[in-house]
Amino acid sequence: MCNPSGNQLDNVSRRNSARMLKQEFLKKWIMGLQICSASKKEMSILERKKAIKLSADLAMASTKNGTTNWSLALISNASKENDNKTLVDQMLGNHHSEKISTKRPSIVSIFRNKRVATCRGKKILKKRGGIRRAKKMASSATSIAKRLVKKRTQVLKRLVPGGEYMDELNLMEETLDYILSLRAQVDVMRHFANATPKFES
Amino acid sequence: MEGNSVTDSRSANYGAKPERTDGGSLQLSEEMRSLVLAPETGNSFTALLELPPNQARELLHAQGNDDAPAYRLLHPLNCTPTFPSNAALLERAAVFSVFAAENSQETSSIRGNLVGNSGEKVKQEPVDTDSNPNSSDLNGNQKSTKRKEREKKGKGLTKKSKSMANETSDDGEKLPYVHVRARRGQATDSHSLAERARREKINARMKLLQELVPGCNKISGTAMVLDEIINHVQSLQRQVELLSMRLAAVNPRIDFNLDSILAAESESPVDNNFPSMVMPLMWPDVQVNGNRQQYQQMWHFDGLHQPVWERESHNIINADHSLLSYDSPTNSVSLLSNQLKMEL
Repeated sequence: MCNPSGNQLDNVSRRNSARMLKQEFLKKWIMGLQICSASKKEMSILERKKAIKLSADLAMASTKNGTTNWSLALISNASKENDNKTLVDQMLGNHHSEKISTKRPSIVSIFRNKRVATCRGKKILKKRGGIRRAKKMASSATSIAKRLVKKRTQVLKRLVPGGEYMDELNLMEETLDYILSLRAQVDVMRHFANATPKFES
Repeated sequence: MEGNSVTDSRSANYGAKPERTDGGSLQLSEEMRSLVLAPETGNSFTALLELPPNQARELLHAQGNDDAPAYRLLHPLNCTPTFPSNAALLERAAVFSVFAAENSQETSSIRGNLVGNSGEKVKQEPVDTDSNPNSSDLNGNQKSTKRKEREKKGKGLTKKSKSMANETSDDGEKLPYVHVRARRGQATDSHSLAERARREKINARMKLLQELVPGCNKISGTAMVLDEIINHVQSLQRQVELLSMRLAAVNPRIDFNLDSILAAESESPVDNNFPSMVMPLMWPDVQVNGNRQQYQQMWHFDGLHQPVWERESHNIINADHSLLSYDSPTNSVSLLSNQLKMEL
């Protein structure tokens, strides 16, 4: 490690950034957990789990500072439910919820129009005797592959928060970032869990 | 036809034109021949990218057929070539990519025949040739946006192509379009070009994802890779759920002391690491001691059975100071931080 080669340097920098991400995430998570526990004294185990998960997700999303779509989507989804609203506000600061609520509608409307347009386009194609064309397309191997890919991308869109509103290219980028953040989150949570005693009940 | 108009306009610009007898040959001056033949050895197509697009385009224009030893090259001073009337050739030459990133599949005969040393000389050529209506025939705005997109596309571009992009923007006569090289046998209309650019971008991202997700490298085929990615994301999400369940089960009370977090963090010797705030804060009434037996005696949890330490926790035990009470967050903090450091 004294004289890192090019590759190693890359790994080192990656590790450092990952570590910083984890630290930031941990801080925010702990803060969120505190807020949770301050508000409610007695919680069932399920409620606790929800609170833990929510604060973890929000913490991770907030480390992105609104640079990625998935984080914004996650936060806005969380703040839609009234139970979570206070937590969101307190964790992220009151201005944040305003930011989210103003941003989302515009994005959503744009993409909704886009989707409607493509759906309508397909219907027209089918109506105008394009049924044959559609059938012919279905039979070729490449179109089968395309259909598979399309199905997969739809599944992926459902997995990544806010994915339904993204086009393919953005979806890929967001997935990339989302996977990295999820990994960091899982790492921190696992260490946390391992450091604590387990119970056999 | 587009090609013919090009030919005409170009011919109009120049004085002496060598006669063109058939579609292939051309008379060149000695100078030009040497100019042109020299780079033959310099085999890189990417060097072509050093040129601003108009000049490079002319080079390519000149490169009609592989067999033709003569090059139709635009020379600044005396002789000027006439351009092939071969429509297909012109069409191909007219669509010219400044970015060679994707050219691995290109089978164009032009590649490898030009450039190298001639690059510099050609650069000095007057830029007036971009009055070339070729550009106007192609898809203006789309190309310029494409150029911007390509400039942004970090992974795909080679450095040379990037500098080329910069150069084109610095040119005196700024080309508003990016000319995209059409691959052999592929359509050259705007839609397919845009499609191709988009597809290539997506493929680049896909490659990145493949590297990221373990076990994806050997898989070929978009659908399978996507499958793996989906599985990975799902497993990560499931892990988050499980872990939060685990953590919820650990402690009946999530009790935190924010002040001690901050205090502990500042005092902690290990700053490069997970802050230290973790352990004592979750379980304020826990006393952690030096050995296992004592643990089992000392854990107090309301209504819960005694904890079972995992193996990793022993690292905590190995630390020098023992955590006696919650009042000494520093100690507990550094213990845990040591452990976490090891795990990380």
